[in-house]
Amino acid sequence: MTSKKTVAAMLILMLVVVPAFLYWLNASYWFGVAGTMMVFAILAVSANLITGTTGLLSLGHAGFYGIGAYTAAMTATAWHWPFYLTIPAAGLAAAAVGILLALPIMRLVGIYFAVATLAVGEIIHVTLLNWVDFTHGPMGISGIPGIALAGVFKSGNLANYFAGAGLLIATVFAVHRLTHSYYGNALRSLREDDQCAQAMGLKVVRIKTEAFAFSCFFAGVAGALWAHTTQYISPGDFRFSESILILAMVVVGGLGSIPGALIGALLLVGLPEVLRPFGDYRMIGVGLVMFLCILFLPRGICGEVSAMALARKHLNAAWKPSQQLGWR
Amino acid sequence: MMETDFLIQQLINGISIGLVYALMAIGFTLIFGVLNVVNFAHGEIYMLGAFVGLLLITTFAPPLFVVIIFVLAFGAVMGLALDRVAFRPFRRFRDEASMKSKAIREATLLSSLALSIVIREGVEKIFGSNMQVVPQDYLLISPVQIGSFSFASGQFLIFGLSMAMLVGLQLLLFKTHIGRSIRAVASNPAGAMYVGIHTENVIMATFAVGSMLGASAGIVVGLYQGAVFPAMGFAPGIKAFVAMVMGGLHSIPGAVICALILGIAETFTTSYLAQGWGDLVAYAFLLLTLIFFPTGIFGAARERV
Repeated sequence: MTSKKTVAAMLILMLVVVPAFLYWLNASYWFGVAGTMMVFAILAVSANLITGTTGLLSLGHAGFYGIGAYTAAMTATAWHWPFYLTIPAAGLAAAAVGILLALPIMRLVGIYFAVATLAVGEIIHVTLLNWVDFTHGPMGISGIPGIALAGVFKSGNLANYFAGAGLLIATVFAVHRLTHSYYGNALRSLREDDQCAQAMGLKVVRIKTEAFAFSCFFAGVAGALWAHTTQYISPGDFRFSESILILAMVVVGGLGSIPGALIGALLLVGLPEVLRPFGDYRMIGVGLVMFLCILFLPRGICGEVSAMALARKHLNAAWKPSQQLGWR
Repeated sequence: MMETDFLIQQLINGISIGLVYALMAIGFTLIFGVLNVVNFAHGEIYMLGAFVGLLLITTFAPPLFVVIIFVLAFGAVMGLALDRVAFRPFRRFRDEASMKSKAIREATLLSSLALSIVIREGVEKIFGSNMQVVPQDYLLISPVQIGSFSFASGQFLIFGLSMAMLVGLQLLLFKTHIGRSIRAVASNPAGAMYVGIHTENVIMATFAVGSMLGASAGIVVGLYQGAVFPAMGFAPGIKAFVAMVMGGLHSIPGAVICALILGIAETFTTSYLAQGWGDLVAYAFLLLTLIFFPTGIFGAARERV
């Protein structure tokens, strides 16, 4: 029950307290920071699905984020699609590209898969950068319409904030339902031992491809949100360093844990802003915090609760110390 | 005639870029072989090698070979420090399962990445993010005419140094005690421990050797291209990583050959297509290699970990 209360408190904080406070401050800058946080929170949750839960280390997540952003930007500028069409379109485009790329590379295992995703991410980035006729190359796309609904609300800080919050809540809900189900258990079994999972009758390649597609879909949604809220995108936003940043969020927060991914995004986006008074030293501070987190909290700040710990918690009275499993 | 000359010229340019990637890829491969982890700070060792060499040149202006020897020594020290700070704290357990486990791999991957951010930003803080000025006397771009081909003097240095390093590395790995220990730990860490090899020392030696190669590549490229800046390690680091994976992760000859292929492919793409597409070819190569040879061209049988 406490967990439900926590969720309600978080929702109130996110949907009422923070926007009211920022609105009262009238701080466009902090609205921007909050928007970036929510985009990266969606990215971290989606990367967590593939890297944390399914155990496939993805080093190219920023590529799918970029595909989403460019899809939304182009459909919005060239065809004047409203945001409620571009955002799902961006997610679907990213998922479609993800499935196409997953077909050949899903057979790879371990570090080979990670490197293949790195190559995919870089190919997407180089294409965005050099296909000048189509993507405008390094100039990027400007003048993307903001999030607005004619006659209902205008685009602005609050609209951006609530769009981000809504998409983040939807993403967290979807990924939570996905990972806390039999399907999620199947994904976890692939992480622990995919040969064993196959022997138990799971279609390994198919399930991995599906998980990858879901992950890419949410990355694409995050890209669309980024495009609409900043109204300007360029290939520089979707480089390898962004993929690594997303991965760092997942690992610092705790692999396989959705609250962990959210905390990781909050920390790694928020920290550079908080450290801004220290000027040039802030990135050094971010690196140090990352390093210390990994050193002292190897399971992450809010790591995944293992099945054994969960069983122990539920059976607390019935669980006697003499019943400890494993070596005594 | 002109066409073939141009072709050969490009081939030689490609080989000299490829050799630089090879020097870095060997460092990656050695460390991956012994620890099974990716060292993301390798590009920063390359950058530090260039900066330290440049600093030595601007303060003392010694002869070139002194610079290179100093950079090699510095690279070894940096390798040891890197191991001490970013890798050893995560080797808490010594059984084989945890040495090869996913958790330790991801932890060290990110710890080396965090350290590389700190190093890069620290250097940027001290020297600024712009390109450093390389003294004219040390720039290795004086043209050398052989027949109808013209080379830059730096290409000879890159070629000579890489060859010396590769031969030296082979001698080290196959003729000396420490080299044999490195190979033993790479093939089976627990087994090496059982026959009395001090694994910690071997890992330290591996980091020293790998970082020496990386740092020397850094200073030579810095002097050849005249470009020394804090972010210079990123692109060669990624290319070397790609070469390592294409070569099959554990194979040093494989990594060298793939690094040469990458270098040549990149040079030809940039001279026949537009500038920016060069990187695409490298990654497309990687993807195709992985699709058709799932464990790299020179990799062993498929490993399911």
